[in-house]
Amino acid sequence: MAAVTGSAISMTSTSCSFKQNQALTRISKFNSVSLSINGKCFPSLGLRSAPSRFRVSCAAKPETVNKVCEIVRKQLALPVDSAVTGESKFAALGADSLDTVEIVMGLEEEFGISVEEESAQSITTVQDAADLIEKLIEKKGA
Amino acid sequence: MFSFLRQSTFTMKVHCFERKFCVSSSSLVPLPLPSRMETHFWYILPDEVKSSSLLNQYLDLLSPCEKENVFRMHGDRLKKRAILARALVRTTIARYQINSEVSPRSLKFRKNIHGKPEVEWQLDDDWRPPPLHFNISHTSSLIACGVTMDSLIGIDVEEKQRTIKNNILSFAQRYFSHHEVELLTSISDTEVQRQEFLKLWTLKEAYVKALGRGFSGAPFKTFTIRYGGAISGNVNSEASQIVVESCDDSTSHTSNWEFTLLELSSHYAAICTEKDNNAFEGGTLFLWNKII
Repeated sequence: MAAVTGSAISMTSTSCSFKQNQALTRISKFNSVSLSINGKCFPSLGLRSAPSRFRVSCAAKPETVNKVCEIVRKQLALPVDSAVTGESKFAALGADSLDTVEIVMGLEEEFGISVEEESAQSITTVQDAADLIEKLIEKKGA
Repeated sequence: MFSFLRQSTFTMKVHCFERKFCVSSSSLVPLPLPSRMETHFWYILPDEVKSSSLLNQYLDLLSPCEKENVFRMHGDRLKKRAILARALVRTTIARYQINSEVSPRSLKFRKNIHGKPEVEWQLDDDWRPPPLHFNISHTSSLIACGVTMDSLIGIDVEEKQRTIKNNILSFAQRYFSHHEVELLTSISDTEVQRQEFLKLWTLKEAYVKALGRGFSGAPFKTFTIRYGGAISGNVNSEASQIVVESCDDSTSHTSNWEFTLLELSSHYAAICTEKDNNAFEGGTLFLWNKII
């Protein structure tokens, strides 16, 4: 039963090519840069309308995303070649609430983190999980 | 056919009906709204729906948003399940003699602030919507919809044969209450332990869904579900009550809840509804295996 609540994030169905664009997925923390040309300072430019495939925020490392995909595949008993990417929604892959909690527990053990219920509730995609993992790892190290 | 083991607070009468599927979508036999003392439990097994034209008729009942959701599902089995889940909710609610405007297709739904689905009634000047509550649950092989009148409801269904990928006791230690961990630890037979784990899971899920606050609104660790009086009592006692209690001194988990645990042939189904404290006897549970 898809009992996991959380905001519905609408994702396009284009498969995100994380594999090919590894460099691009690591988007800088700073979303503005100021340019200085010939001594003149230009006002900071924000990252303009990024393609909808990429989030303008700290995206998790591809290795983290891949690890999450692996854990999800194992939990849902999906074939190795099944399409599981960062954009994949747990519910769309057939995960019910027990699966999601099992996945979260698997992630906690794999990455040595602890996920609060509020955070767990907001995870709807593989990318959400990977981003949260990295955030928690960072916090742990701080 | 199925046998059931019921564990509920009072003597709950259970009536079960099994029907074949009707191809004609106009054969939605109307029913009066449930009384305050009744819980209606509608379910279907996706494997029993074999006709693709019937499936298309069901798909046709869905809203554009629901259809989009169906197409986002990976693979035919999941798409079919998504169609049937929405079709079951729509046909079930429309079945009650609400008013002439309500049909499976016309119903609108929304989510409350915690994400719990509810009906968005089309209000009219002279008409007040009935206090009808519903809750859905599905596993790969069963989809269920519980309906009550004037009472919060939460349901959860699980396949009896479902395997837990993590270690059960580790999982329980992480998410369940201390008493529940004790109960599970005291069971030496791993198969019985797995079954009792699943029953506890479905009961806890049903409770949280009835509360409608979402997973984080009532973290599993903060309340205990237990049978009867003794904590590590005889889990197979047919006469035992199922109760929910707070783990700490807070009164955030009250005693207003009635639990029923059904054991269908391949599934556990937990139903949690608000107790009618004025009632001397438990209510009646009606089960239907049909969609249209």
